Amino acid sequence: MKVSYNWLKEFIDLPLSPEETAEKLTLIGLEVEEIESYGNSLEGVIVGEVLDVRAHPNADRLQICDVNLGESKTQIVCGAKNVATGQKVPVATVGSTLPIKLDDGSSLTIKKAKLRGEVSEGMICAEDELGLGTDHSGIMVLDDGLDIGKPISEIFDLYEDTIIDIAITPNRPDATCHLGVARDLAAALDLDLKKPDIPQGKFVETSDDIKIRIENADKCHRYVGKMVKGVEIKESPSWLRNKLKAIGVRPVNNVVDVTNYVMYELGQPLHAFDYATIRGKEIIVKDFDKEIEFETLDHIKRKCTPGTLFICDGEGPVAIAGVMGGVDSEVSDNTMDILIESAYFDPGSIRKTAKEQALQTDASYRFERGIDPNLQAIAAERAAQLIMEVAGGTISDETIDVHPTVTESHQLTLRKSYTNRLLGTDFDTDTIVEILDGLELEVTAKDEDSITFEIPTFRPDLEREVDLIEEVGRLFDYNKIPSPDHGIFVSSEAINDWEKLNQKIRETAQQLGLREIYSNSLIAEKDAALHGNKDQMIHSLNPLNKDNSTLRPSLLHGFMKSAAYNFNRKASGVRFFEVGHVFNADKEGTYYEGIKEDVHVLFGLAGFKNKDSWLQDAQSYTVFDLKALVNAFFVKLGLADHIDSHATDAETLEYHWKDQKIGSLFIPSEKLKKAYDFEQDTFVAELSVTAIAEILSSVPESTFKAVPKFPSFEFDIAVTVPQNITAGEMMNVIKQKAGEQLEDISIFDVFEGESIGKGNKSIAFRLHFLDRNKTLNIKEVEPIIQRIVKSLEKQFSAKLRG
Amino acid sequence: MLDDIKVLEQDIQQFEITDEDQLEAYRLEFLSRNGRVQSMFKNMGKVPKEERAEVGKAMNQAKNLAETKFEDAKLSLEQDQSKDLSARDDITLTPPSYPLGSLHPLTQTLEEMKSIFYRLGFTIADGPEIEDDFHNFTALNFPPNHPARDEQDTFFIRKSDDPNIQDLVLRTHTSPVQIRLMENTKPPIRAIMPGRVYRNEAVSPKSYFLFHQVEALYVDENVSVADLKETLITFAKLMFGSDVKYRLRPGFFPFTEPSLEMDVWWGSEKDGKWLEILGSGMVDPNVFKHAGVDPEKYTGFAWGMGVERIAILRHGIDDIRTFYDNDIRFLEQFN
Repeated sequence: MKVSYNWLKEFIDLPLSPEETAEKLTLIGLEVEEIESYGNSLEGVIVGEVLDVRAHPNADRLQICDVNLGESKTQIVCGAKNVATGQKVPVATVGSTLPIKLDDGSSLTIKKAKLRGEVSEGMICAEDELGLGTDHSGIMVLDDGLDIGKPISEIFDLYEDTIIDIAITPNRPDATCHLGVARDLAAALDLDLKKPDIPQGKFVETSDDIKIRIENADKCHRYVGKMVKGVEIKESPSWLRNKLKAIGVRPVNNVVDVTNYVMYELGQPLHAFDYATIRGKEIIVKDFDKEIEFETLDHIKRKCTPGTLFICDGEGPVAIAGVMGGVDSEVSDNTMDILIESAYFDPGSIRKTAKEQALQTDASYRFERGIDPNLQAIAAERAAQLIMEVAGGTISDETIDVHPTVTESHQLTLRKSYTNRLLGTDFDTDTIVEILDGLELEVTAKDEDSITFEIPTFRPDLEREVDLIEEVGRLFDYNKIPSPDHGIFVSSEAINDWEKLNQKIRETAQQLGLREIYSNSLIAEKDAALHGNKDQMIHSLNPLNKDNSTLRPSLLHGFMKSAAYNFNRKASGVRFFEVGHVFNADKEGTYYEGIKEDVHVLFGLAGFKNKDSWLQDAQSYTVFDLKALVNAFFVKLGLADHIDSHATDAETLEYHWKDQKIGSLFIPSEKLKKAYDFEQDTFVAELSVTAIAEILSSVPESTFKAVPKFPSFEFDIAVTVPQNITAGEMMNVIKQKAGEQLEDISIFDVFEGESIGKGNKSIAFRLHFLDRNKTLNIKEVEPIIQRIVKSLEKQFSAKLRG
Repeated sequence: MLDDIKVLEQDIQQFEITDEDQLEAYRLEFLSRNGRVQSMFKNMGKVPKEERAEVGKAMNQAKNLAETKFEDAKLSLEQDQSKDLSARDDITLTPPSYPLGSLHPLTQTLEEMKSIFYRLGFTIADGPEIEDDFHNFTALNFPPNHPARDEQDTFFIRKSDDPNIQDLVLRTHTSPVQIRLMENTKPPIRAIMPGRVYRNEAVSPKSYFLFHQVEALYVDENVSVADLKETLITFAKLMFGSDVKYRLRPGFFPFTEPSLEMDVWWGSEKDGKWLEILGSGMVDPNVFKHAGVDPEKYTGFAWGMGVERIAILRHGIDDIRTFYDNDIRFLEQFN
């Protein structure tokens, strides 16, 4: 909210500069976002007389002017075509500042300069350069009769102010007006608050001029109407226009300007009806149980849902209550009599309507936050008073006040002990009362231990003891609260296993030479569909756009997108990992029924492993680079002995612990890569961290084993098998048959060719046997080999190669 | 005899060997069958018995000298020859690059924060990114239809008119983990809760619809604003240096009362400005009630801050979207 420094000074004798005021406001919780100067007093701009105009020797467009400034004569270079001898012109003398914004945000200050070799001391100004209008066609020519050297500020009605833009937090409806901000400053700075003097009318429930009825007292607690008759609608006087313009409000006419003025002064949104347009001379506040179409002041026809609160006259709606008036009843140039509406609408109801209509007005903003329910009559009187002042007419004696729902002020007790316990202070009750002085909280009872306050109705945020403690804290200034006597704490609690695992995973991936990426977890449905099951997707009901509608079912899309992004920027290869949450529909759910939210880790390699160099040609990653990486990952996590893998098809390897699948390694298809617009060889493994955590909690921690004292016995078996037999299948059999003495198994040769027959391939395994108690010899290993070979022959039609 | 040996040693030392020919000449003169070393040994017979031990020792020394010089000269000549290197033996050729792993800058910033919190005696907890209305809003003292809910534009996952079925949302802050922690743990509680959060906001260099927060919670019998302040200041000093200039000012969050925000001075004395780094406050009694903690017995503080915000400040990054592009040229600046 824009707050005028000048306006604040009408309520308090502010001893602070605008900057100091802003600093103080921020420190008491009214956070200042910006300070801006408004207008200009044009100090140093005076009337000059052009004595001579001659051509500039070095520039066609410039002219040299001799100007009489009264006390001195000076030379000024001028670019305007209309400058002529004998003119009286506004001259910005050296050192003066004009309301012209420079690129860095500062204002233009006139300096002595040389323009194309000619001295220029000052500037002859155009209308817009002085902020006096918009004309920039030439210099401003002043009235001949003006005295030379007279300050411009004495000729024109100039207005200068500083505007402080405050971010009002939702809990401070009282601070949405100048009086409220001034009250807070007065309390913090211990100043007197001078409120405007407002006369009171005679309260009636109904009058001959207008009947007011509230049908829905839940949504409209109070409706005050006040008549001003015989007004003359015209432009507001400059004091009113200037004050509104300074805070960014466009002046409309004297009556509308007053209603706005009172809102920014006291915080009560007002509406002025053209009395003549009110049909049946009655006002009814009601909602409808059907949809209503209504054209608001901004000439938009709006569909309003059932339950929207309206101000109606005898025939139908004339305004959406608290949000915006209608076109038919607005004040026009011909308006004679005014009905001022000053009402209290329920914040929730206004909020709902404003949201539905996507229409936040200065009025709805205040009603939503909750205005003072006892302000309506005062604000109506204030507006009537000001309307009479600026538009003439007579104020009706009667103030029509329909007030079905009354809000009383309430009492709140503050305990000294709890205050000090929460703030870490040592205040006595006198000090607390002193700190809160100025907030208009009346002390109704007080002893050594507690104080009871009556809470004014303009502070609906002060509901509980703790709310009052906040007032004590903020007005005292949190920066002044002393440090506690005790030091910083120690904790005996260990970092939990889950966190340790997550750290270990990131550490390991980094050690394996992978770079971590952070990808979007809200992706397009079509992207999710590339690798997820459509029925299992979780969507946002109100996505930002269709590219971010669906929660990622896996981390694959993020990797593919990041890989594509880098390939498009000439990267030759990527080695990435990511850890993140993934979401899938699932009957049971993780935290909530129906939603499985897991943490996954993805490893991805794509493109070239190395760049083309003198040493070797560029080589693409292969699936075995990734397999090695995943194996190393399991080793680092201490899981290598517990995880089995098996191929589900030629492109996919699944990792299992017992019967539980924990993830897979796969080769994305050409089609999938095409969707991301790249062709580089790509390999991805994605594992469930959630599953890994479960496994780690149930497998025994590995313990130290002595380094073997005896050498291992190495034996090679080469077999010929049909093409369709996988190495994995054979190794499973070998492991099963070899028993515990088999320490390690690897494949050292694979080939196919004519020599072993079409449809066949040869695989050579190297087996390492180890006995921890003795040196093994061929006699002991041979029976094992026999068993293995027999099984291979039987299960895979393998033939032992010589 | 000893004098002759001395002369021989001098000759050996002074013999200049700079190429193969000289090496051969040296060999012939000193080490060949008829060379001077062999000849020297042949004179042993003429040495009186009582001097033999001494002379023999000197002779062996001379022989060693001759042989060592020969071997050294030979090696050094060979080495000189090997300077005729092949093109590929050029040590100045560029090597292949080593694949370096790295943690994302946001992880790095988060890890730094975590390590500070661990030093301050905090432990760590986490929770889901999809939360129900209760944990994300109601329990945190955002009443239904409260304007404070508007400040956190929310992505909904499930909405229901049935009051018995909770709306599900993408959490708008990490604060719901506070509720989970208090529901499941008896105070004292002192933990941080990092994680990803979502806001339905238009994407711009300054804002993204998802970002990361770290939440801190401390609940015990006598926790005060003074404790909060001390913790905040210690954190700021450890994060930004002990000379950091800071200020505390009142703020507003539905789940804390009183609420405070902390600004640090960023930039030079003259051209810098206050930048908000975190929001905090004393846990609102309503939050305690919702989470099943007695607000008369316990007090506590909570605070939260954005990981992106801190990372942006530290590294001078001008566009928040950069974090999610995963451009290698960006990532490799954070090795």
